[in-house]
Amino acid sequence: MNMKQKKAFKNWLVFIVIFVIAIFYFYPVLLMFANSFKSLGDVIKSPISMPKELVIQNYKDVIKKMDYLRLFRNNVIITVLGIVGIVFFSSAAAYILDRRRNKYTKIMYTLIITPMLIPFQTIMITLLKAMTIVHLSGSKIGLGIQYWGFGVPMATFIFYNFMKTIPKEIDESAKIDGASTFRTYISVIFPLLKSVTFTVIVLDVMWIWNDFLLPLLMVNSNKETKTLVLAAYTFVGSMNTKWHYAMTGMVLAVVPSIIVFIFLQKYIVEGVVAGAVKG
Amino acid sequence: MLSSKRKMKEMAENLAFTLPAFLLAALMIYIPFIMSGYYSLTKWNGIAKEPKFIGLENFKTILIESKDFINSLLFTGKYTLVFVVFSNVIALALAVALTRKIKLANFFRGVFFIPYIMSMTIVGFIWKFIFSSGFEQIYKATQWGWLNLSWLGDPKLAFYSVVFVGIWQQLGFYIVLYIAGLQAVPSDVLEAATVDGANGWQKFFRVTLPLLGPSITTCIFMSLTNALKVFDIILALTKGGPGNSTYSVTLQIYNEAFTSNNYGLGSAESIVYFLFVLVITQVVLKIFSSREVDL
Repeated sequence: MNMKQKKAFKNWLVFIVIFVIAIFYFYPVLLMFANSFKSLGDVIKSPISMPKELVIQNYKDVIKKMDYLRLFRNNVIITVLGIVGIVFFSSAAAYILDRRRNKYTKIMYTLIITPMLIPFQTIMITLLKAMTIVHLSGSKIGLGIQYWGFGVPMATFIFYNFMKTIPKEIDESAKIDGASTFRTYISVIFPLLKSVTFTVIVLDVMWIWNDFLLPLLMVNSNKETKTLVLAAYTFVGSMNTKWHYAMTGMVLAVVPSIIVFIFLQKYIVEGVVAGAVKG
Repeated sequence: MLSSKRKMKEMAENLAFTLPAFLLAALMIYIPFIMSGYYSLTKWNGIAKEPKFIGLENFKTILIESKDFINSLLFTGKYTLVFVVFSNVIALALAVALTRKIKLANFFRGVFFIPYIMSMTIVGFIWKFIFSSGFEQIYKATQWGWLNLSWLGDPKLAFYSVVFVGIWQQLGFYIVLYIAGLQAVPSDVLEAATVDGANGWQKFFRVTLPLLGPSITTCIFMSLTNALKVFDIILALTKGGPGNSTYSVTLQIYNEAFTSNNYGLGSAESIVYFLFVLVITQVVLKIFSSREVDL
């Protein structure tokens, strides 16, 4: 065997090993899907095999029991509201913080990004009290707004680092054309932030959509305001003997993320990498 | 006159652009943080109007008199250590394999990444099912003894089960970070090493690994902060049991406040937890970033 053949053979071996690992790695996810299509008897009798026939009834029942469409809508409202605010406030702050470097902006920058060092669990007890005082607890809109505060520090940091790469000549020429600072930011700078805005959106959607602890504190007491993950947690907990329903509820909770991931895999992975390297 | 007017306008713009971001962070994070500091010095059940000021009494209770908080800190420390070491070693090994010229490399990367985009509580539930019903079924078919152990019921084993599931959920994230790092290692340096007669292992340990410094620092830091915050997975898998053997500090703070209604004690625990996280992350970050090598 020459060098080249040897290398090809080695790669082929690596492929086999990875293939086997990947099958075992993914099996739990597959299992969840498989069991969601079985009758209760089948889940208990043969929990790890593929279904013999597809029981769609589970889905019809669980969608109704969980009030799935409402949960889905709640999640969309909270996530979109959260993201829009985070992107708008962070990019605007980062713009001025980078363009006007003076004592004021230096202090402001430190004040805005320092909360990244404070773990959420440190403040959760008093947060509930504070949010009750300002009437942001107990509602979807309130929860969405709370994400602004928690998302802004990291997003400002990411936008700020990217802002440095946009030449200042661009804003200067806009200014000469008579555009105000706000106008320049909205129509000249913001469009240039497209790639980093995308990174921020990917990171924050993954976080807000699947977040558990903050919604648990803020919107768990009312059926109307529950999020998908919260409702799935309660539902699965109450179905601990009816595994076929539990599995279906679990699938319904994760399937939106998986579908989005399958279609946008390349961008999501890129966004996550960019966010981690910059954050 | 004109310049002072311009200055005023500039100052107004500075405020208009940056103040909202600051006020949001202040409202959601700084104010509750300061409140935690205050309530940690009080006896407060969350319902009474006036918390009673008791000085450092709460800190004495959680650090000296009661063992629960210290035990939860110890568990979290142990969990973090095992989590950081194994998730990084395994992720790096898989990333190295996936950057070779093998078929379906992108597909595999996606497979490993999928658990990371799933909600952690759901991940906990899936594994709870596998540890009980799934293992039982395979045991019946194969008679492999290790499947018949009580993976969530035995205090010692439950620790490993919880760490294992935590790693399973997050591994894909570290894999993609390491892949990005490996792809940035310049190929001419590796070729030069080959010309100098280095074998595969030597190239990895002497060239690739040192150049991977920034990626390693990022992954260690991310895995560290994620492990120190572990909550959802434990809640879904064991609720801290059996016998408090998997009781994380975050779960302890949550239950102290919201189940036992000891808001004062819970706030004191929050403050100690904050310092614990701050010290550990800063020390680890310092150690790793000082070892990075530039090309």
